[in-house]
Amino acid sequence: MSEITSQLPWIVFIVPAGTGVLIYLVGRKSSLLRGILTAIGVIVAFGAGIAMSVSTYRGAILSAWGNELRVDALSAFMTVVIAGISLVAAGYSLKYMKLQALQDRVGPEVIERRLNWFYALFMIFVGTMLWGVVTNNVIMLYVAVEATTIASGLLVAFYWDRRGLEASYKYLMLLTVGITFALFGCVLLYSASSPHLEGVNALLISNIKGVAGLFPRSIAIMAMAFLIVGFGTKAGIAPFHPWLPDAHAEAPTPVSALLSGVMLKMAAYALARTVTIFYTDFSPVTVFLITLGAFTMVLGIAMALVQDDLKRLLAYSSVSQMGYVIMGIGFGTYLGVYGGLFHIINHAICKALLFMCVGAVIYAAGSRQISELGGLSRRMPVTSACFFIGVLGISGMPPMNGFMSKITIFMAGAQAGYWWATMIAMFTGILTLVALSHAAWAVFWGHPAKGNSRNDTKEVPAAIWSGMVVLAALTIFLGVYPQSLYPLLNAATKALAPLMH
Amino acid sequence: MHYNTNLISTLTLLMIFTSVLAIELKSLRTAVGAYLVQALMIVGLLFAYSVVNPPLIIWALTALATKAIITPLLLWHTIKRTGDEETPAIIGFGPSVVIATIIMLVFYKLTHQHATFLAPTSGAQDPAIRTNLAVALTVFVLGLYGILTRRDAIKTVIGLCLLENGVHLSLVSLAPTMRETALAGIATEVVITVALLLYIVTGIQEKFGSTDTFQLSELHW
Repeated sequence: MSEITSQLPWIVFIVPAGTGVLIYLVGRKSSLLRGILTAIGVIVAFGAGIAMSVSTYRGAILSAWGNELRVDALSAFMTVVIAGISLVAAGYSLKYMKLQALQDRVGPEVIERRLNWFYALFMIFVGTMLWGVVTNNVIMLYVAVEATTIASGLLVAFYWDRRGLEASYKYLMLLTVGITFALFGCVLLYSASSPHLEGVNALLISNIKGVAGLFPRSIAIMAMAFLIVGFGTKAGIAPFHPWLPDAHAEAPTPVSALLSGVMLKMAAYALARTVTIFYTDFSPVTVFLITLGAFTMVLGIAMALVQDDLKRLLAYSSVSQMGYVIMGIGFGTYLGVYGGLFHIINHAICKALLFMCVGAVIYAAGSRQISELGGLSRRMPVTSACFFIGVLGISGMPPMNGFMSKITIFMAGAQAGYWWATMIAMFTGILTLVALSHAAWAVFWGHPAKGNSRNDTKEVPAAIWSGMVVLAALTIFLGVYPQSLYPLLNAATKALAPLMH
Repeated sequence: MHYNTNLISTLTLLMIFTSVLAIELKSLRTAVGAYLVQALMIVGLLFAYSVVNPPLIIWALTALATKAIITPLLLWHTIKRTGDEETPAIIGFGPSVVIATIIMLVFYKLTHQHATFLAPTSGAQDPAIRTNLAVALTVFVLGLYGILTRRDAIKTVIGLCLLENGVHLSLVSLAPTMRETALAGIATEVVITVALLLYIVTGIQEKFGSTDTFQLSELHW
């Protein structure tokens, strides 16, 4: 395991955040400038992520700023996921945010002013998420996660109507309380390791890992409890999830894709980094995480089944899928963690894809209520195909990527002896298929809802569906060739799984 | 060097008292005033602890700027736009004070006795540090109580500020050697979050007509 000093760890998050600030300062002058700055931000971040993955999958560790930033294979993997989805979402948003319904609602000058804020905050949001996954400092981890909440708070309230404001209020309030619990947990980690480590080193997660076994039992339990509640709130784990459906549904679609597809995963990463240091010495935490995962899965999909609003349905499905990730990480075995991490990238791709399809439906048909839509496949063939692929991916049907990660999690459960967990996971998979196929059928096939036969619904422009097609292609590709990710995922899992059986 | 125990104990009890005031007072402006008094006491406490641990002076100054100056100003600015009268909470004044007192007594006793449970450092044996932890957690719980039971959105933000006060105060006992920049970062973030929340609340006032959180029921199930 060689440690290399590199500039990439700070480039990957300073560049997007910097372009965000630049956009705020000069973006008002022209939307072309704004577009170029956004493109630079996400492309550089994605490039840095790929470069880091190439260096780290062989086991090297990149560090910068005196070990304050530390990128191993797991962090590099997360940067690729975050930057990749942000790249697609940013491209999607360029055309999407010009949708006519929004222009009609608030007027073009207001939109122009707000769009500048939108892109500035969007890039800062991406930058803070990337910061969270490269930082090695336990307090800065808290700061980064809180910063993502701050950056996205106004994005959730973008439409500035009753629903958006309510969603944003709940979002900011619940997440801040939650993250304060995590702060307390991080401080406990720091205070418990400072007798054993010199000064500033006690802040670094890589060092805390080494001394976790020396913590008094009571502190470890309290720290774990606070960290799970804190980062779990951010990751959408039940019962701390109530902010999620509102925020993800009311935000503009590119932001929903980022919130559901990426931010939840970043919080799960923070949870994994801080709680897995206790795995070897306090094994009951694994059972707790598995139970929490199972509960989240079932609650999420149960709520999704009764939704009429497409975006809320997808949001509850996100809650459910995060349950899979937590359960996978909770197993603590190589297979379990591999499955959890694989599911992170698969769900990120599928959920972003699904949200973008729903956005396309909103763009073309003006509604996101299932009861008001119907028969769209004839007029929107590309969107229907992409949505269908996304549904299969999320439900874990072959040959999609979701099948590969879910089956890994099922096998991990069986191998570790947690048969009840595997059964719950399989059952939830079936329910997911039911809920999402019902939505797909009602919206794209079947007959248009009564009294709502709009003849002007047509396929969305290529600028919007091109991103969807890329993600759909990835869904199929990862399902047919899951081994393509093996080198990176293998290294990432090894960075995390201490109980490898 | 020893802590000035009497000063610390007095400030401690007053701080708990101001928390209850900040939650209970009907006039929002005065409630913010109670919060301001508490913030000043935190600054005072930090200066008192800094006699033994000099770097805490920077913490005290950061707290002064963020908690005692910027936050009350933000709150008062928002209250000017949304009105001074609080929407009554679900629990009436009398029962609420009783519950708050019970919470206060229970948590204070609990943490005081079990301070070593939380902070297994040699410093934790010092009675001043135990008091600090006890009051920090009590204020935290009172803040949480405020958020959960108050109906007026501004009151919930005040509750959030109390919650944060509690956690930041506990840092003195749990992480006395933490770099000042880290604490400055934490405090700044809280201020930005509060500012954002208050901005959203003014938006709520604009669109809903009042800061009554019970009105926020467009999204359910």
